[in-house]
Amino acid sequence: MRDMKRTTNALALAVFWFAGLTTVFVLGAVILYVFVNGIGHISPEFIFGQPHGVNAEGGIWPMIVSTLYVTGLAMVIVTPIAVLAAVYLAEYAVQGRLVRTIRFAADTLAGVPSIVMGLFGLAFFVEGLGFGFSVLSGAFALSFLMLPIVMRTTEEAIRSVPRYIRWGSYGLGATKWQTVSRIVLPAAMPRIITGLILATGRAVGETAVVIFTMGTMINTPVLPTDPGRSMTVHLYMMAMEGINLPAAFGTALLLMAMILFFNLSARWLLRRNRRMQG
Amino acid sequence: MLLLAPLAGCSDNSSSLTRLIVTGSTTILPIAEVAAEDFHAAHPEDDVLVSGVGSSAGIENVSSGTSDIGTASRELKDEELNLGLVDTPIAYDAIAVIVNPQNPVTSLTKAQVKAIFQGQIVNWREVGGPDMAIGLVNRDEASGTREAFAKIVLDKERFDPTAVILPGTGQVRSVVAQEPRAIGYISLGFVSDDVSALAIDGVEPSEATVVNGTYPVQRVLHMFTKGAPEGLAKMYLDFVLSADIQESVVRDAGFIPITAKGAYGD
Amino acid sequence: MTDEPRPNEMPTVRGDVSNLKLVSRATYIKEAALKNLFLLCAFMAVAGVALIFLFVGYRGWPIFTEVGLGDFLFGQEWLPTEGLFGILPLFVGSIVVTVGALLLGTPLAVGAAVFLSEIAPPKVRTIVRPAIELLAGVPSVVYGFFGLLILRPVVADLTGGLGFGPLTAWIILAIMIVPTIATLTEDALHSIPEGVREASYAMGATTWQTISRVLLPAAKIGIVDAVILGMGRAIGETMAVLMVVGNAPGFFRGMGAPLSTLTSQIVMDMPYASGMHRTALFGMAIILFLVSMGLVLTVRLLSRLREDVS
Repeated sequence: MRDMKRTTNALALAVFWFAGLTTVFVLGAVILYVFVNGIGHISPEFIFGQPHGVNAEGGIWPMIVSTLYVTGLAMVIVTPIAVLAAVYLAEYAVQGRLVRTIRFAADTLAGVPSIVMGLFGLAFFVEGLGFGFSVLSGAFALSFLMLPIVMRTTEEAIRSVPRYIRWGSYGLGATKWQTVSRIVLPAAMPRIITGLILATGRAVGETAVVIFTMGTMINTPVLPTDPGRSMTVHLYMMAMEGINLPAAFGTALLLMAMILFFNLSARWLLRRNRRMQG
Repeated sequence: MLLLAPLAGCSDNSSSLTRLIVTGSTTILPIAEVAAEDFHAAHPEDDVLVSGVGSSAGIENVSSGTSDIGTASRELKDEELNLGLVDTPIAYDAIAVIVNPQNPVTSLTKAQVKAIFQGQIVNWREVGGPDMAIGLVNRDEASGTREAFAKIVLDKERFDPTAVILPGTGQVRSVVAQEPRAIGYISLGFVSDDVSALAIDGVEPSEATVVNGTYPVQRVLHMFTKGAPEGLAKMYLDFVLSADIQESVVRDAGFIPITAKGAYGD
Repeated sequence: MTDEPRPNEMPTVRGDVSNLKLVSRATYIKEAALKNLFLLCAFMAVAGVALIFLFVGYRGWPIFTEVGLGDFLFGQEWLPTEGLFGILPLFVGSIVVTVGALLLGTPLAVGAAVFLSEIAPPKVRTIVRPAIELLAGVPSVVYGFFGLLILRPVVADLTGGLGFGPLTAWIILAIMIVPTIATLTEDALHSIPEGVREASYAMGATTWQTISRVLLPAAKIGIVDAVILGMGRAIGETMAVLMVVGNAPGFFRGMGAPLSTLTSQIVMDMPYASGMHRTALFGMAIILFLVSMGLVLTVRLLSRLREDVS
């Protein structure tokens, strides 16, 4: 009896080990596969060059610029709105129907499939407001996608600021806004920035939204009204066209490196902050 | 030479007045893109942006004014005839029916190809091959190649609805190159060594058989403008039709220059 | 995502009122204006949902009035060129792909979560946990690319087809939803008080008994939440599915036979669709929107249930 109990336990533990390690193995396989096949293609010419020729030889500079441009602009659009919205939810709001509605909307927004967001961007920004296929349309559509993420992480960041700090501020006669803007937000800043970086990483990897809002044209955008092709869209088109697989791997590797960079810097920031707070 | 300083490359983009937008067929994409680069090199003040979205989208875009030139690897459909589009034929092309090199079948009749793509013949045994289920690879509806293939081979009847549908020529080619049971169709320009193109009714697809008209599955590649081409669009189209592009780019991409039939006296 | 914590109230019971005595009228007005500005920002989330629904709905509405709800939702044939806009096969395709991915992914994800929270030594944990989070950050096109090049040939050999179809999509989607389900499940396990575990061990239970009889039942609602959110991710996933599923808009015919889903069909058709076909694609987007909203609503209801229980 006791033996069986012990065997069952050992067996079950083995299964859990298996599940945990399989997950790591899959991640390792995906990263390693892209890395091994892509690293040979990474060179200054590939990163900074223009694409040319029948098989999209040359570089992917226009795609890198388009990707950074559209996510950067989206972040500029979303940051003030999302942060202030989070300030409201964390500092001002009183539990009630209004707050419940806002939270439900944010959850819904977070759950909207990206293809639906893409079609919305096409109908509203590209065609409705007449922005055309452009970085601007792409950035607005992406900002809808980022809004709930940044709202949530910012609200958590604000809530994690200890209450007694606020009491000190009020005790000195500061108003609510003075307390929020000079005390709470600065204290929460590292975690807010962490959230922003994570949301940006998410936006960099997005395909279905930008393909219908920014277009698929290879172009180095200068004005926000210019069209462009993101790295994800480029990878998709090269994979489906089946042309120049080495360049597709190179693009995939750069894309993953970018996202990894965003994730690691967010993590680093968070850890540094935790250490500083003791 | 294409490693342009990133910012220098941008300055000429900012004036959108001299920008020509070309969208449409993915088959024509290689010609249109390389011609656009050469055109830009010859006229640095003008910029040609090319995107491959499929023939139908190209026609839709040029008629709605979203793009200046729409490219199509098929003829206009009946409902597209009254959109006021003006046709500039730019090249000839054959559609090759491709199989895996391991497949011993090298020739099919047009009727057999039709029956295969309609799902009436489902095993290679029925056409003289090994006992192996046929894996059909079809293109998406946006594809001009599919439209042309449907018109020429299937007499516009339905494709087998259970076929795999892939949205890119290159994908069709790489799947056929990897899977012994697969069959697909792609532009002759994209046929490479890792797939084999079948003879249809005993005729191999090649420039000669397209030009003399014996290879049955052939078509014309088009560039459409809304009304007669003018300004930058006309300059670009003339450039595409110039002997330079026709003999180098069009031929390199595996297509047949539009001037070829004249030369053979057809 | 369902907790509704209280705002950080000021030390006094009615903070605003007590402040009022100390500040000037101008300051009071400014404070009130700022508060309303913040409320406006928070309301953008509501405005966003409304805009999406209105604009996608506006474009898609004619499909319900002109083709008819019945012929659209329950039509058995998707042949836009012939004017047949039945999305039932696509809807079924979405469900087949999602359910399969959940069946494959959920055990793995819950297993990984239990491993992380209950079993893994701290050192292993510091490697596995970030790995799972990074797995969530890999773009879906990269997964699609991976599936196309690595999985497709393997599935082709297994099923005797061309390797495009539900099985390939299941595996890829399972990999994609594991991080979502695993992290949320781990959160649920974490929120179980330490004392519960101690009590179980004190009674002589093994680790497995503690996990299976105490912890998993206690985290049940949290796990269901996680699975529902994973389901939302799977049903809305577009690019990875499009690249491996084969896109034949017919009913499910087997693990290795090509299939199409709502999301993949939208991307395939959108570039060239015009007229009623385009309208139908927007109609499909409304359906997807409503489905995802329904899933969020379900999670909310579940959390209310949990509050009632506790």
